[in-house]
Amino acid sequence: MTQSKNHADKATIFCRDENRVDWHNKALWTLREKRDRAAASVPEWEDLRQLGSELKLHTLANLSHYLVEFEKNCQANGIHVHWAKDAAEHNQIALSILAKHQVKKLVKSKSMLTEECHLNPYLEKHGIEVIDTDLGERIIQLNNQPPSHIVVPAIHMKKEEVGDLFHEKLHTPKGESDPTRLTRAARAHLREQFLSADAAMTGVNMAIADIGAVVVCTNEGNADMGANLPKLQLHSMGIDKVIPSADSAMVLMRMLARNATGQPSTTYSSFYKGAKPGGEMHVIIVDNGRSDIMQDKILAESLKCIRCGGCLNTCPVYRRSGGYSYNYTIPGPIGIAVGAKHDETNSIPWACTLCGSCSYVCPTKVPLDKIIAHHRRLKAQQRTLPFGKSSYMPLVGKLMSSPTAFNCAMGSARIALRVLPHSLIKPFSGAWGKYRELPVAPKSSFDTWYKQNKANKSEAK
Amino acid sequence: MKIALFIPCLVNQMMPDVAIATLSLLEKLGHEVIFPEGQTCCGQPMTNSGCFDEAKNTTLKLLNAFKGVECEAIVCPAASCLVAAKENFHEFDDSPEAKEVIDKLYELTEFLHDISPIPRFKYPFNHTVSLQMSCHGLRMLSLATPSESMGQQFNKVEAVLQGIEGINIVYPDRRDECCGFGGTFAVDEGAVSAKMGKDKAQAHAATNAQYVVGFDPSCLLHLDGMIRRQLLLIQTRHIAQIIDAAL
Ligand code: SF4
Repeated sequence: MTQSKNHADKATIFCRDENRVDWHNKALWTLREKRDRAAASVPEWEDLRQLGSELKLHTLANLSHYLVEFEKNCQANGIHVHWAKDAAEHNQIALSILAKHQVKKLVKSKSMLTEECHLNPYLEKHGIEVIDTDLGERIIQLNNQPPSHIVVPAIHMKKEEVGDLFHEKLHTPKGESDPTRLTRAARAHLREQFLSADAAMTGVNMAIADIGAVVVCTNEGNADMGANLPKLQLHSMGIDKVIPSADSAMVLMRMLARNATGQPSTTYSSFYKGAKPGGEMHVIIVDNGRSDIMQDKILAESLKCIRCGGCLNTCPVYRRSGGYSYNYTIPGPIGIAVGAKHDETNSIPWACTLCGSCSYVCPTKVPLDKIIAHHRRLKAQQRTLPFGKSSYMPLVGKLMSSPTAFNCAMGSARIALRVLPHSLIKPFSGAWGKYRELPVAPKSSFDTWYKQNKANKSEAK
Repeated sequence: MKIALFIPCLVNQMMPDVAIATLSLLEKLGHEVIFPEGQTCCGQPMTNSGCFDEAKNTTLKLLNAFKGVECEAIVCPAASCLVAAKENFHEFDDSPEAKEVIDKLYELTEFLHDISPIPRFKYPFNHTVSLQMSCHGLRMLSLATPSESMGQQFNKVEAVLQGIEGINIVYPDRRDECCGFGGTFAVDEGAVSAKMGKDKAQAHAATNAQYVVGFDPSCLLHLDGMIRRQLLLIQTRHIAQIIDAAL
């Protein structure tokens, strides 16, 4: 992955293969449609969203209280709790636990947090084999890629491409692209991994403070296979995952799967509140920049996110530019909200038309469009604007603030549009003319028309 | 009612017909319409890019054009400019005079639905129109329920147009997906913007409507460029032009 290219460059490359764009767009839009049907089947959907938003805000406002309560109740349940201030600390803690148990092979399930911390390469460097066990995650792991979506990580790959990959790595028959047969092959392969693993690690969808339990939601049951087979189980969570009670978990769980894939709930939603007999359970609570985000009132609301992926599916830009154009582990609207700070090209806040669809789709009402606009303002304040904006915006500002200068400039643009052949101005009109016909320019502006036809007859000053 | 017209720079310069239709229809409805001088851009290209310092002078110039103007409402035929003006005025000036201006700001459809409904149309419009439900009007001005929202359903745009005899209102597939204009997005993210515009233009054309009708001139301008580039058999019209022709 080239880190140096900005979003627009990567999107331009993605857009070159229009068939692929159409296919990607449609696959994700199908999820949005399923989500619409599922949401519409819950009459109190909008009330649930309000409740979800308020309950996350309440928890964030009292975060240290709930985290401490969670820790205390976990410990009472015999769970080991660890605190990590950043990715490096998280990885060290995970390694030290695994090393202590002489773990050679770790099976992992769905965790964007461990992606964020780049845990896999770190553990592999220390001689531990890491197997992602969600089907999508395993596909991209075999393909040496990061996820391109937070819920359907291999959505960018067509089934034929998966077939080729499986042929090479899992020795399925050449040319096999039947999803059922490919899934079966993957399942057999994963079963061997589960049986030979020494430890399991999962992400956490919710951490319930009053009972000291973590909730893990999957559709394949792999998290449970992992957590139940070996003696050692680890769960990594961001500090934003804690919620007050099991009741509050129910509110969010009614929306999570519906908003993600249109399912009433995930196939497996497991609550872990202690180690199995003779086993050990660890929870690692990670900050990694989250408390910084909390310092900014607008950005803080991004921590209400429950990672359903709904905002990615609805985003018309994400669907047409692909997950890898965002320069951050998490793509799409929520990826911009939490990743803009980490994007060295400073371009991802502009990968958005501010259409606002994401904010309306979000089950916890994360005001994504406002957060994205706010990131643009922060970038402007830090003088890290992309696309040469910092050089031309002051000029635009000057021009626009002077009606005479502006009208004069627009006037000449209009004349140019009317008089010059379009082939002549097209190269000068940049991206607009590259993709669209230029506007048909009117003869005169409205204010000129008004002066000629109306001004003397009305009371305008 | 005495109404001041707010004609954003894009409409003034590139789509004067929309402004003329707005003026004409408001007069036909019996309103007294004035056009205060000194109007300029609402600052949206700058604030949307994060450049608030650069937007300040422009926004305040526009605000000044309306301060102290005697009128009951300020009406604008461009949803996204209206939203930007409202927000930017508020951002840069919190004086009572500014608030007075802000409180009188209405987008045209909003005005015709909420404040001064059209009692009766005179002429029929025997055509199919595919409505372009542009994002800012929809999700920031609540002109209709966005498709993501499961709450109480309403649609002011349809309600206003429905009074016209013979009009057949349809929607494109993915009825309120963004058309991809997005101000400077159209230039900064040219490839994605164009793909979004292409898809949207095709979705409108696929309805077999004669016209794409919308309340946001910038989206219409973008769609018009995409429609002509692809030689699609559909034309863009602003809602003001349809209403004016039917009055
Ligand atoms: S921001 Fe909202 S819609 Fe997006 S992933 Fe998070 S919870 Fe889902």
